[in-house]
Amino acid sequence: MDGLFDNRLVITIVGVVAALGISAIVFVGANRLFDLAPRKWSIFSALIGGGSALAFFGLLWGNRLINQPVTTTIVATIIGAAAGYALSLTSDPRLHLGIGALAGAVLGGLIGATLKTSTRPEFDPVALVVGVVVGLAIGFGIWAVRGRTASVTRVALFWGALGWVFGAFLVPDLGGGDQAWAVIAATIGGALFGAWVGTFPNPDANARREIALGSRKYIFLTPALAFIAMTLIIPLIRTGFLSLQSGPPVDLSFTGLTNYADIFTDPTILNLENWTNMFTSQLFWAGVVVLIIGIVVARISGQRTGEGFGINGGSLSALAFGVILLGFAFFAVMRGTISNNLWWIFAVTLFSTGAGLAVAVLADRSRGETIAKSFIFMPMAISFVGAGIIWRFMYIARPETKEQTGVLNSIWVQIGKWSASNTASIIIALILAVIVAGILYIGWTGRQARRSSVVAGAIVAALPLIWLIYRFLGPGIGGVEIVDGVAVASPIFFLTESPFNNFWMMVVFIWIQTGFAMVIFSAAIKGVPADLTEAAGIDGASESQVFWRITVPSIAPTIGVVTTTLIVTVLKVFDIPKVMTNGNFDTQVLANEMWQRAFTELDFGLGSALAFILFLGVLPVMWINIRRMQRQREAVR
Amino acid sequence: MTTDTTPRAEPEWGVQEVQPLTGRVAGFLRGIPSWILWFLVIVWTVPTLGLFINSFRSRDAQRGSGWWLFFQDAERYGTGLTLDNYRDVLGSEATGGVANGLLNSMAIAVVATIIPIAIAAFAAYAFAWIDFRGRDGLFIFTVALLAVPTQVSLIPLLQMYAGGAHITLPLIDKTLTIFPDLDLAGTIPAVWLTHTGFALPFAIFLLHNYISGLPSDLFESARIDGADHFTIFRKIVLPLSVPVLAAFTIFQFLWTWNDYLIALTMIGGNRQNLPATVVVASLAGEFGLREELLTAGAFVITVVPLIVFFALQRFFVRGITAGSVKG
Repeated sequence: MDGLFDNRLVITIVGVVAALGISAIVFVGANRLFDLAPRKWSIFSALIGGGSALAFFGLLWGNRLINQPVTTTIVATIIGAAAGYALSLTSDPRLHLGIGALAGAVLGGLIGATLKTSTRPEFDPVALVVGVVVGLAIGFGIWAVRGRTASVTRVALFWGALGWVFGAFLVPDLGGGDQAWAVIAATIGGALFGAWVGTFPNPDANARREIALGSRKYIFLTPALAFIAMTLIIPLIRTGFLSLQSGPPVDLSFTGLTNYADIFTDPTILNLENWTNMFTSQLFWAGVVVLIIGIVVARISGQRTGEGFGINGGSLSALAFGVILLGFAFFAVMRGTISNNLWWIFAVTLFSTGAGLAVAVLADRSRGETIAKSFIFMPMAISFVGAGIIWRFMYIARPETKEQTGVLNSIWVQIGKWSASNTASIIIALILAVIVAGILYIGWTGRQARRSSVVAGAIVAALPLIWLIYRFLGPGIGGVEIVDGVAVASPIFFLTESPFNNFWMMVVFIWIQTGFAMVIFSAAIKGVPADLTEAAGIDGASESQVFWRITVPSIAPTIGVVTTTLIVTVLKVFDIPKVMTNGNFDTQVLANEMWQRAFTELDFGLGSALAFILFLGVLPVMWINIRRMQRQREAVR
Repeated sequence: MTTDTTPRAEPEWGVQEVQPLTGRVAGFLRGIPSWILWFLVIVWTVPTLGLFINSFRSRDAQRGSGWWLFFQDAERYGTGLTLDNYRDVLGSEATGGVANGLLNSMAIAVVATIIPIAIAAFAAYAFAWIDFRGRDGLFIFTVALLAVPTQVSLIPLLQMYAGGAHITLPLIDKTLTIFPDLDLAGTIPAVWLTHTGFALPFAIFLLHNYISGLPSDLFESARIDGADHFTIFRKIVLPLSVPVLAAFTIFQFLWTWNDYLIALTMIGGNRQNLPATVVVASLAGEFGLREELLTAGAFVITVVPLIVFFALQRFFVRGITAGSVKG
């Protein structure tokens, strides 16, 4: 263990030192280098010359193209630096051109002489002529389009050199040529490039200051953008490219859209057959009824305010509840990876946003706000893996004969026992009846005080309790079944009973993300100007009116931000299904499907196609985000 | 707001003319939000609390009764609360080396937090205070990449770490190496690099929001004194940005510590380099074998983030809310 610890400690320290060291060297070094431009042009020019040669020979070295790479690279760096220094000393254009060409020729000769046998090009006169002619044609074509401002020599040298290198090295087969031709070809190419460099005169004092100033944006941005290109942009393009290929990882071949066709015809990924079953589910009809109630309530309260459709606590909660029931009815009959993913997005986004907003509002007017909020927020700090395990213990189902050790099944079975016992169910029904009476009394006072929100709240709260009383006295409720007159525990198998095992995993995600939504809403609510809400209060608006007519419109943009962020987070959900069911029992999601196909079955093509579908899924959200940022920028101006 | 000017014969429901509820009912009603809130707090806390208590109970106790009956353990199972699970999960190699995993987690999280800061602070400054053509477009493009799912990069990145990145030039069929084969697959540095790339858009976004909000007088007076961008960055921006750097540090540390997907993909079968999340998750895959250890395992990977969270919550919240709240 000791050695191990040292090892990890060393890795960490090396990593930290390397990160900070490289960052310091790159940023400090580059800034100091370009500081030199206005003050010490010769040194700057020498460093740039040496640096360019080093970079180019380093590239050849990295590609294993040259013999004796160490010596060659050092020599080349010195020659480059000397050339840079020499160029800075004279302002005579012809001398400039000469120095450039000479240095280029020497460096080219060096490449030609050290080029490995396997990379020496064959002599191909046709390719050479075609290369140079095409190069010049392109160069002068661009020159003409750009208004013929650049110097003719410069264009000819640069594009001639490119065409030459192309015709001499890139088109012909490598490995068959002799050394003499390699040296000649490289020397001529180098001389042409060198001469092109030589056509640039030494900048005057103003131009040098411009170089020093203008370089900063590149110095500051290049490392970050290079990293982003390496880990995000290029891989994204490559994934799109890989998604059009099939076969084992070492031998992929282009097969067009077959991967996508496979995905959308695979019944475990997308299955639209059973959607009509929705109409036979209780959830669906309950949803329809609640939705109609919501519409009626909204219509009635809307008529009173003259707005046609009144959005307030009562109507909105009924509408939202109805939509959720309908959504669940739909997703419960739709099986397959893609509909599972859509269910995740639907449920987690709605519940987390709703619960987050509710907690933020509740906390805003309670004592102990900070403590309460930090406990709701705490799951945000826990890993998805940890959360998955935590909830597995919540969901544990033990065999009927054993004691339940999971909180939820324990409660469920206990309710079942009460419901099965006549005395207990009557006592509970009585207690519930007293509570219902209390709620209805509150509703009654609310009616006398003309507070429609109180009445609506009382009714909404009383209905489920009345339903509970009915279940306790009538058909029974809870995790107990009567088998031959004997009560037997029947726990819920939360993670294995399809389709609602999907939802029980979503609960874990909601548990985590509610804190995120709450924190952001809380900050937004505190940002609503107090004089607005106070003025409304003085005008006689009730608290619920203030909330629906002032607070909600003020934080509407924030609701948008939270919703889009949640959609993106939920779309790529991976850890929780992976840890809790690994996609078994009809709980597969796209990210886990992608991982299994790509890294278990090593089907990179299909895995890439699945990943790309995820990317296409976030594109609309990206578009919304871009539009929002553009609007913000315009607003700042 | 909605001042109704039309004459009304009778006060209507819920519009205005609201009379306050009186007496005890009103007091009770006003208490309801608080009651609901604290009820939710309990619901939100119970799962973690249950895991925490269970992690100190013996296998028999965990399987025999719910954690809320832990005070009966001594009489029912002969063992009270015990540290055995922690000892086993950290000590024995049979569990896949959770202790070693914790060290790996630390090595991954610390470095993968520092690299993005060392890079992003400069970029954020450039986006905020250096004027150049196309700056806004480039910034928006960079930040938009925040939404790109990690999954789209996994296969190409793993290929690059395992064999370098090569580009085959079309038509002439010559291959050029643009990233050397450093044999990074299965190593911790591969995870650093991947985390860095994915953290940068968020880091730039967060730091930019803060740095662009610094008062511009500071910069103008420094420029009059002849300071260049690098000096301004080092002497003015960095010291003033400590709060936002702290916010990002906390956020990124928790993110990388808790990461599962990137480590699992990039390190894969190389067990000795796996972070604790992956080790514990694979323990979970063998659920039932020694499930009593899973409680301790889960708590071990959770306790570091929780400590960081409760100690530095202010910064964490700032990291999450920054930028989201502005309309």
